[in-house]
Amino acid sequence: MTVTAPGELRLRIAHLYPSLLNVAGDGGNLTAIVQRCRWRGIETEVVPVEAGETADYPGFDLLLFHGGQDVEMAVVAADLPRQAEGLRAAADAGVVFLAVCAGLQLLGHRYIPSAGPTLEGVGVLDLETRGGPQRFMQHAACEVTLGGETEIVVGFENHSGQTELGPGVRPFGRVVAGAGNNGRDGTEGAVRENVYATYLHGPVLPKNPWLTDKLIEIALERRLGRRVALAPLDDAVERNAHDVGLAKALRNRGRRTALEPARFGWR
Amino acid sequence: MPVTTSAKERSLPAISLRRRPQASAPRLSLRLFAALVAGKGAATASRLLGRGGGTSLPGMVARRVEPRVLETLVRGQGVPTIAITGSNGKTTTARLTAALLRGEGVAVSHNSAGANLVQGVTSLAIGFADLRGRLPEGTLVVEVDEAALRVVAPELDLRALLVTDLFRDQLDRYGEIYAVAGAIEKAAAGLPPDASLVVNGDDPMVAGLGLDREGRRVTFGFDLPGSTDRISRAADTIRCPRCRADLAYRHVYLSHMGEWRCPSCGLVRPPLDVAVTSVEVVDLRETRCTLQTPDGPLDLRIPQAGIHIAYDAAGAVAIAVGLGLPIPHAAASLATVGPAFGRLETIAADGRRIVLGFAKNPTSFNTTLRALATEGEPRQLLVAASNTLVDGEDFAWLWDVDFEGAAGRVERVTVSGLRADELANRLKYAGVDPARMAIVTDRRAALDRALLDVKQGGTLVILAGYTPTIELREEMRKRGWVGRFWEA
Repeated sequence: MTVTAPGELRLRIAHLYPSLLNVAGDGGNLTAIVQRCRWRGIETEVVPVEAGETADYPGFDLLLFHGGQDVEMAVVAADLPRQAEGLRAAADAGVVFLAVCAGLQLLGHRYIPSAGPTLEGVGVLDLETRGGPQRFMQHAACEVTLGGETEIVVGFENHSGQTELGPGVRPFGRVVAGAGNNGRDGTEGAVRENVYATYLHGPVLPKNPWLTDKLIEIALERRLGRRVALAPLDDAVERNAHDVGLAKALRNRGRRTALEPARFGWR
Repeated sequence: MPVTTSAKERSLPAISLRRRPQASAPRLSLRLFAALVAGKGAATASRLLGRGGGTSLPGMVARRVEPRVLETLVRGQGVPTIAITGSNGKTTTARLTAALLRGEGVAVSHNSAGANLVQGVTSLAIGFADLRGRLPEGTLVVEVDEAALRVVAPELDLRALLVTDLFRDQLDRYGEIYAVAGAIEKAAAGLPPDASLVVNGDDPMVAGLGLDREGRRVTFGFDLPGSTDRISRAADTIRCPRCRADLAYRHVYLSHMGEWRCPSCGLVRPPLDVAVTSVEVVDLRETRCTLQTPDGPLDLRIPQAGIHIAYDAAGAVAIAVGLGLPIPHAAASLATVGPAFGRLETIAADGRRIVLGFAKNPTSFNTTLRALATEGEPRQLLVAASNTLVDGEDFAWLWDVDFEGAAGRVERVTVSGLRADELANRLKYAGVDPARMAIVTDRRAALDRALLDVKQGGTLVILAGYTPTIELREEMRKRGWVGRFWEA
């Protein structure tokens, strides 16, 4: 990497609805980005944006929009119109987004639940989601190509929404194990320019350091206007977590839930 | 004094802890007999094979032979039952309740092995039954998993049901917390009118349960002059249960529990029938608290550590209030109740001390870490997590645990269990240097590895999920350091 002026290596991160969308440990994605930046001397500034507030989204480098339960998702959807224009402008300007689960659904056109009113999304991504009869709860993995490199990304999916992608987006990944967007077409998540959306919790970034670093790299390159090569880190612990997650995704496709007891065999 | 039980309510007669008169001894069908033999046989085999106390297997086996075995044994004979459900504090509250009742001369059948799914509760009943299916005279005190309650409750003869709290807990098992609350509401609505519903008023998700139901309802909670916690990211139910607006708190006591009100629709915390007005965690061996009850104040000293113990004690006392049972011996009864296995249990291990802390979700982890901090943050740590049927499959919640606070002072962490990978990664990102970490998946080897670094007179703190806690404790039992977990 070429020499940079002090303070130039800096990322501004907007964390959308951290109190409402805090389910399934997704806050770990922020932890992963902040720590991997810190270990390389890259400064981060994190701005939480709660319901009722807004922010100058195009002025950020990275934007996190995580998952939540149905009730919290409805509260977010009601607040979203105030953010819609800024989020669309940020996406058009190339700000890096990571959206997970409810974040993916609400970046789309709309979410039509099995019961209750339709939730309007912001239309950053050309996709639509309908509530399905079945809940996908399992370890999952997909193959992702980013910047010419292909890797397996692992995580845990927990959703009943079924998402159909429109022509304006491409899938984030190809399903290796799990249900992906809808359990039918083998697609996982959605991508448009620098907007990356996935159903994978886990949280997804800590055990996929390759993906974390790609997001950091893309955000830095956009900020600096030139190629960036991140200093390598010792990822033995992360790789182990990744490999165990992948083995589980490939092996343990069944669901375990106390709401459907006594379905397990003798062990 | 915040006595709010209405005079009308207090004039109600005590709830009987006798068997229902119309109920009779079970008709001993061949199938019931076979189920009892199979269940008891499985328990014996499990013990002989050293596979723990046989807390789930007997129920599982017996239900395969006779699916109605629990219903026949308990509901069929009208055996008075007190059930405790909720995310946290079930085992400790059940222990305190059993001690409280025994102290007033009530015969109680209870054990605190903690198996609380359908199979576990069935095992418990089979364990107390004889081969003719007769249960001993007295009251059954059981803890029931919050998701299993809907299946289990109709098979019992409930005289009181207590709901401790609802935290986000193993989302992969339950889907969403609102679904769990809905299931508990259904179970509460199905309680007979002569049973008492006891709820934690400080938890917004729980405080409004059973309001439309006919029958007695008793609330408990904290009434302290200041906060003892702050809303953390582990808190998940801080929206109004009626209108979904963000709640405002005058005081936060533990995670999302506190004196709450809704600024939007005006819903407020219900008046408390049993209120904790002071708490002091003295050390790992004692918590002192004062409770205001309809019958006057109670000063308690409980030989366990943590502010949550005061919630558990208030819940147990509220059950007695709900039953209309006078408890003149409460202070003496509760002073004898040490920690259930693994609840910050202090164990002497050949000149070293082990503090065994069972933790299963962000709140129990954070609460345990806070209680440990009364002695200064732990230096030598063994942390273990395993994916099993009872521990769940998804460990994303580890990222909601506040490990950052303890990470800086830790000298050595041994990471163990089937999900040591996820745990180690979480600890690394919390700031624990991987050079200070050893990943030893096997539990026995992990215990040896962790103790290597503990000098004579030193302390090893163990934080582990349900299954690894039992495994580690079993290993310590083999070494003669503790008794059996189902006898603790």
